[in-house]
Amino acid sequence: MALADAWKQLSWFYYQYVLVTALYMLEPWERTIFNSLLITVAAMAVYTGYVFMPQHIMAILHYFEVVQ
Amino acid sequence: MDITKKKRDFLRAVGFEKCHQAQEREEQKDFVPLYQDFENFYKRNLYTRVRDNWNRPICSLPGPVFDVMERVSDDYNWTFRLTGRTIENVINMGSYNYLGFAENNVDFLKTVAEETRQYGVGVCSTRQELGNLSTHEKLERLVAEFLGVESAMAFGMGFATNSMNIPALVGKGCLILSDELNHTSLILGARLSGATIRVFKHNNMQSLEKMLKDAICSGQPRTHRAWKKILIMVEGIYSMEGSLVRLPEILALKKKYKAYLYLDEAHSIGAVGPTGRGVTEYFGVDPNEVDVLMGTFTKSFGAAGGYIAGKKELVDYLRSHSHSAVYATAMSPPVVEQIIRAIKCIMGVDGTTEGQRRVRQLAENTRYLRSRLKEMGFIIYGNQDSPVVPLLLYLPGKVGAFSRAMLKRKIGVVVVGFPATPITEARARFCVSAAHTREMLDKVLQSLDELGDDIKLKFSRHRSSYRPELYDETDFELDS
Repeated sequence: MALADAWKQLSWFYYQYVLVTALYMLEPWERTIFNSLLITVAAMAVYTGYVFMPQHIMAILHYFEVVQ
Repeated sequence: MDITKKKRDFLRAVGFEKCHQAQEREEQKDFVPLYQDFENFYKRNLYTRVRDNWNRPICSLPGPVFDVMERVSDDYNWTFRLTGRTIENVINMGSYNYLGFAENNVDFLKTVAEETRQYGVGVCSTRQELGNLSTHEKLERLVAEFLGVESAMAFGMGFATNSMNIPALVGKGCLILSDELNHTSLILGARLSGATIRVFKHNNMQSLEKMLKDAICSGQPRTHRAWKKILIMVEGIYSMEGSLVRLPEILALKKKYKAYLYLDEAHSIGAVGPTGRGVTEYFGVDPNEVDVLMGTFTKSFGAAGGYIAGKKELVDYLRSHSHSAVYATAMSPPVVEQIIRAIKCIMGVDGTTEGQRRVRQLAENTRYLRSRLKEMGFIIYGNQDSPVVPLLLYLPGKVGAFSRAMLKRKIGVVVVGFPATPITEARARFCVSAAHTREMLDKVLQSLDELGDDIKLKFSRHRSSYRPELYDETDFELDS
């Protein structure tokens, strides 16, 4: 029951996203291309964050002389 | 989205995709391309995807409710086929049926039937040759009396009234000051006339005054001679904005700088003013002060055609010098009779109060719809009293979604997008009619409420609650 509601809510959010980015008017294969491009870029950003964030944080803390 | 459009175009050029639209022949491929300009780009890639919201075939008269034929598309709107079913009783919020005269009630149409039996349907001649029927003379006298001016002349087509008569009134060496958002017919007439055209910002009196001052000080562009005529072209109600013209201020400016005024009352005649006489009555201005009053019979009178009214010398001049009078076929007798009976009904000459009731009903419907839409939180353009209500949708994606969802709920709306409005301000335009009942408007409002929450259209931040706050006692002290 809760799963059905959550699914309905998620599909409403997807509908809003599709409307605002004008993907609503594109054919299904165009939507898949655009979505996969977007997910690829987002995944790359997350991966970069995961690899480099600890280094950046250590550097900042070192600059402000919180940790040696 | 632009990226996708370009990719699609590329695929089409390479030959991956079958090209559905017109293309040059093989032999002409090396010539300058005919089908590649920007508007076509937009048309191919954007308009075609949402094309099913326009040009819907209708199979009943466009009254307050009508029947729409259902059609589906198998290949994303390149071709359509009718399924054979009709969607009945769709509430009509798009027809310009302001006073509800688009009806087929037998009693009201008796005189029209008589006229058809007597005169037939075709006139087969122009006004100047053998097409000047006695009904035309009757109509013109009636229109002049209705508007309160000396004389009027009627033409067969509203668009042609503008585009064919402006060249007869102004020519080279004259100046036309036209509003930013004027209708295409006015722009076409202005361009055909050969006069210099300057555009002032929409309803902006400072811009207009500055242009008038500059024009009178510096004269014609190269020779600096005085202008032969300065004509200010405005419309009564602008059909895409719903805003009213600022008539008293324009009249003051016109008198001060000795210019002429051309007022196009296509949407406002019959629809504004306490007795339906148009913007001149709404502002309490004498219609004889406006030099050229133009209007159409298509919107409030439920017929077809246009008129130009003004002083007797002006109209007599137009009778012989207008392109439309000399070359275009005269109006058809049943149409003329419909206009005559509609005007008689509004003026009350036929003995009933039906006309007055309709004008009052239209005003009430307009105010009700506008206030409820504003309360709900939609962004509406236009003056409080104009029956044209544009509701802003802003995003091109929502244009298609809105129209399809409304049709599913059995309400027919007109949505407008790029070439008619700026690309970021797409809107849905409602035309209120006197034939709409409270229940119909309530149904429309309820559907808009649900749709507004579903598609997130309630952009306004000025939402006021429509439930008045309940206090136990009044805020202020009352002396008893």
